[in-house]
Amino acid sequence: METLLRSTASICPICKKRINAQLTSIRDKIYLHKTCPVHGNFSTLIWKGLIDFEEWCAGASHDDPSEAPDCPQKCGLCEHHLQAVCCVLLEITSRCNLHCAFCFADKKSSPDASIETVKRWLTDLVQPGETLVQLSGGEPTLRDDLPDIIAAAKEAGCAYVQLNTNGIRFAQDSAYAMDLKQAGLSFVFLQFDGMDDKVYLALRGRELLDIKQKAIEHCAQANLGVTLVPMLVPSVNMDQLGAMLRYAVSWSPVVRGIHFQPVTYMGRTQRLPTNDDRVTLDELFYQLVIQSDGLITQRELFPSCCDHPQCGFHGDFIVMPDAELLPLSRRGKPRETCCSSKSKAKANRSFIARRWERKLVANDSKEINTLDGFLKRVRSHGFTITAMAFQDAWTLDLTRLRNCSLHVYQHGRFVPFCSNYID
Amino acid sequence: MHEEENLICMPCGVPLQRLPVQFSYLGHTFDAEAPRCPQCGQVYLSYKLVSERIAEAETELEDK
Repeated sequence: METLLRSTASICPICKKRINAQLTSIRDKIYLHKTCPVHGNFSTLIWKGLIDFEEWCAGASHDDPSEAPDCPQKCGLCEHHLQAVCCVLLEITSRCNLHCAFCFADKKSSPDASIETVKRWLTDLVQPGETLVQLSGGEPTLRDDLPDIIAAAKEAGCAYVQLNTNGIRFAQDSAYAMDLKQAGLSFVFLQFDGMDDKVYLALRGRELLDIKQKAIEHCAQANLGVTLVPMLVPSVNMDQLGAMLRYAVSWSPVVRGIHFQPVTYMGRTQRLPTNDDRVTLDELFYQLVIQSDGLITQRELFPSCCDHPQCGFHGDFIVMPDAELLPLSRRGKPRETCCSSKSKAKANRSFIARRWERKLVANDSKEINTLDGFLKRVRSHGFTITAMAFQDAWTLDLTRLRNCSLHVYQHGRFVPFCSNYID
Repeated sequence: MHEEENLICMPCGVPLQRLPVQFSYLGHTFDAEAPRCPQCGQVYLSYKLVSERIAEAETELEDK
């Protein structure tokens, strides 16, 4: 029997006009249904029923999308948006040295903006001492003036500068990581999709595993923290979740975490996907724990609190000397604190930056039973497991979108990530 | 004068000594040393300890 869980709004995947949508459950599976008066019915599987959907979403805000009748228009944040900016993504080039099977930023290559223009953008987007800017593309390392851009971001007042990269230039040039570190780079988000080259051939069009490893080694030499970012595609790399997690842990402390991203069908991938082409968040959660072979449990991963719970999860750990993960939080244990008055976006930004940035710690501690030992170990070997389930034209749910805290800076506006990349 | 020197436990009237203490927060327990009354066990937490190491440990343990 089909049960209506909640009503929301979405867009038609064909004409992109806003239409009403419903989340319904059929047995344990959850679907997003919508009907375009011109293009017909669309039904997309968004939850495979491997964990309890309603329990997962218990903390969600289910605000009525009719409060924001014009959304989504890529018009930037307005008074109807429900979340502050946590991270700002800034595209500094559309050029790339790969041609991936999937890419959310599929654009025709155009000339790079001048460094003066980029500096103007940075001055405009920065809240001094607060902003976490993600330099992205394209492949941002194709810009030879990247160190100048990073320095300009710091000079403009960015608290943290993150680089989203495929790692090729880091691998080719052993001094590159140090150059960027010295310019002020805080941490690297390294595209890392699997443990064998079959995965890279399928997703990126060439063998890259050795390049990824070399890039990590060079970041280690520069004391630059790296977070591995696998994009997950059914039949390609969903069987490698546990291996990628263990690999990431084995590279602690240079690798600060792993950030899983189920494939979305936007940008270069925009075709009609079937439900078999999707990795749902609960499937990722379930498979990751199973494949971790006891390294983590379900209780140690939490629904996203900075965005909508359907948008992701996170877990916070310390890597112990025997490569085990000590969880810092568990569901069911007390989580409320006496002084949690910070905004969610601000708290999240502070949390992720603290974990993803690598700090050299003198006299690294191997035991955590003492206050000082714990503090040293968590500074040196903190580790996060995070996931972000982006939305495409089929899965877009305006209730989720209104809670988005990852925004793309475009023409002076902050546009929620998923609406920015739906063409 | 150092904040932790020459402290007297008011109820017991004896000097505090640096003794083992345990701090617990959000399900985690840590050993440390702090000025403590050898008779009643009352612990003195200095502003520096609370505002630096304990505050940092709390932040690290609080879920984002």
